[in-house]
Amino acid sequence: MVQSKKQKYLFLAFCLVPTFILFSIFTLYPLFSGLYYSFFDWSGSSSSREFIGFDNYQQLLKDKIFPRTILHDYFLVITKVFGIMILAIFFAVALTQLKIKEAPFYRVVFFFPNIMSVVVIGILWTFIYNPSLGLVNSGLEFMGLGEWARPWLGDEDWALPSLVLPSIWAGIGLFMLMLIGGISNVSKSYYEAAEIDGANEWQQFWKVTLPLVWPQIKISILYIVITTLNGSFIIVQIMTGGGPNNATHVMGSYLYQQAFVQFNFGYGATIGVMILILSLITVLVLQFFMRREKVHY
Amino acid sequence: MKKYWKSPGLLLGGVVLSAGMMAGCSSGDEAGGNGEGGSGGDGMSGELEIQYFVGGYGDSWWKEVIADFKKEYPDLTIVEHKGPNINDEMRSRWVSDDPPDVVYIDGAGSSETQMIEDGQLANLTELVEGIELEDGSPLIDNFIVDPDKHDGEIFSLPLVFDTWGTWYDKAWFEAEGFEVPTDFDSFMESMGDIKEKEDIDPFVTSGQHPYYFLRGVLYPAFGAAGGEELLADVITGAEGAWTSDAVLQTMKKVEEMQKAGFFDSGLGALNHTQSQMNFLLHKNAFVPVGFWLPNEMANDTPEDLEFGFIPSPMQDPGQPFGIVPDLRPLAIAENAENKEAAEAFVEFVFKRDYAVSFSEHTGAIMNISGVDLTENENVPAYLKDANAMINDPEQVQIYQKPHPMSADLETPIGNSLLSLMLGNITAEEFVEEAEAAAAEYRN
Repeated sequence: MVQSKKQKYLFLAFCLVPTFILFSIFTLYPLFSGLYYSFFDWSGSSSSREFIGFDNYQQLLKDKIFPRTILHDYFLVITKVFGIMILAIFFAVALTQLKIKEAPFYRVVFFFPNIMSVVVIGILWTFIYNPSLGLVNSGLEFMGLGEWARPWLGDEDWALPSLVLPSIWAGIGLFMLMLIGGISNVSKSYYEAAEIDGANEWQQFWKVTLPLVWPQIKISILYIVITTLNGSFIIVQIMTGGGPNNATHVMGSYLYQQAFVQFNFGYGATIGVMILILSLITVLVLQFFMRREKVHY
Repeated sequence: MKKYWKSPGLLLGGVVLSAGMMAGCSSGDEAGGNGEGGSGGDGMSGELEIQYFVGGYGDSWWKEVIADFKKEYPDLTIVEHKGPNINDEMRSRWVSDDPPDVVYIDGAGSSETQMIEDGQLANLTELVEGIELEDGSPLIDNFIVDPDKHDGEIFSLPLVFDTWGTWYDKAWFEAEGFEVPTDFDSFMESMGDIKEKEDIDPFVTSGQHPYYFLRGVLYPAFGAAGGEELLADVITGAEGAWTSDAVLQTMKKVEEMQKAGFFDSGLGALNHTQSQMNFLLHKNAFVPVGFWLPNEMANDTPEDLEFGFIPSPMQDPGQPFGIVPDLRPLAIAENAENKEAAEAFVEFVFKRDYAVSFSEHTGAIMNISGVDLTENENVPAYLKDANAMINDPEQVQIYQKPHPMSADLETPIGNSLLSLMLGNITAEEFVEEAEAAAAEYRN
């Protein structure tokens, strides 16, 4: 049965219109509201506000803390991308190629952090890093490495690197599953052919597995970058509150501090606009560098 | 410098009422015969919305007061908006000019100064002049600390009289023979002794919230070093205040504590409950907090721990301790829908009866003078001890701050302060950074 044009458009409208309405309400409206409020001097806690044009943007350019928050954000982006991707690929390959009997068990174990709230993860790791009661310092002392023990989250130099570990721990499972899906779809005949040609397992990984799961890797990297730029604020807020002395503030946590602690909502909105711009630029740059022909064998 | 307790020998001011006498009065009965507006519950109806923050003081006192008020005005429907995050939860109501009628301003996410600047609070100047206490004396003459005035007008009434100080475990100190500090020198000696005998860093505070140290230790120290004038200057960010000699000398004391290794090495990571927990577990011996500490940590307090409170001992030998009152006000929204009921509630709350029950419920003090707690068995011992000490002008000098420090100034100063406590900057570098923050704040 051939659909009439009207039926086709009706079906398209049925699919698109409700989605577009929800998208407009929950994404476009807040986005443009944020942009709008960035032109105001507003505490965010009353209805009175004053239009000040680009003053907030000028202030942002002079802000000494904001450039540090950008650096912190990209530090987390880079360490998370490498940390998560290397470990997720390693575990995915191990669980699919090495024929481990307990593979389903490990799949569940590695995915477990993903079903936990980031808030719970933050609190959990705050206890793990606790200077006197925490697992990290106790473990170091147990191993005779007591001189390495330090107040991880309370040290201006170590606080930010300390946030990387829980972020990676919390992220591996999801990407491992995505990659397992990709690897499972690679036909066994490619590996058999490679083996007949004399390729060892390492060569099979580089020449067969990696090129064929590149689309999954690319999506994973983009996803990690976007979620880190937009969402690392949660773990920062829970574990350090941006401190000590702004050592762990990322753009999101600095936005929160300005908008809801210091009652500079308009300025906070300006930071939000900058996060959007930087996220867009980053994703475009990444798309450019990761462009690669789709591989078919 | 002011003294707020009118007679040093009496607790909380001049006219001391006997606790027994007060206990004999029913608060509901009191309210009926006391108020000017709305007394007897005549014609008061509709809905009254009350917003109050529930933190270290809990909410049992509020429940009691609101229940009594309901009895007094049975036709009134009271809606309570309460909780530890209530300031954030109610923000959208305030933004949309649909606020609750009465608000108790306390806790994270609230700022009295900001609310007044935004025109959200009603002018209470006339109302407060008409309120009388049970004995017929005007309320305005019976505040321990007077309400803040903005351009000569009153927008909030200080309900809770709190003060920050330094806590220690009295039982532990007595058992181990540790000295309770009386000035900065003895403070250092005591901390040195504790560090040596117990092998702990004796002093802890919240590094995630450096304002605990700023308000709990530095404000009284600034008061002691330069009086209310210096205190006002540092809070308002006056030019040259943070680089003044008095401030530098105070910060050198902090640096001295850091160099001696008296600060908990992990304090930079601790939030306020973690630092308080460390104190309860004797991982540290001193912690600067307000009167709400015992109530807030009641569920975690070991049985043998006995709370002891002293004003933070940062003053030089021979000087009295300094304390800086920290007030939590009650206010009426400018756009309150039921202003009449809101005014009746505010009038209803300020009673000596409720001041007594406030101390019983919270272990803190309501901002009304002439309330005797000495014979009251339901009031914790530390509060009686603290009161006795605070009421002795030989021992304690009270310094009043003009208003809370703006978050725009407190945040950068707190950051630099933490760096100083962690040993990353010197006292000289701190005052320079603080002065720069004050300059930016002024501009």
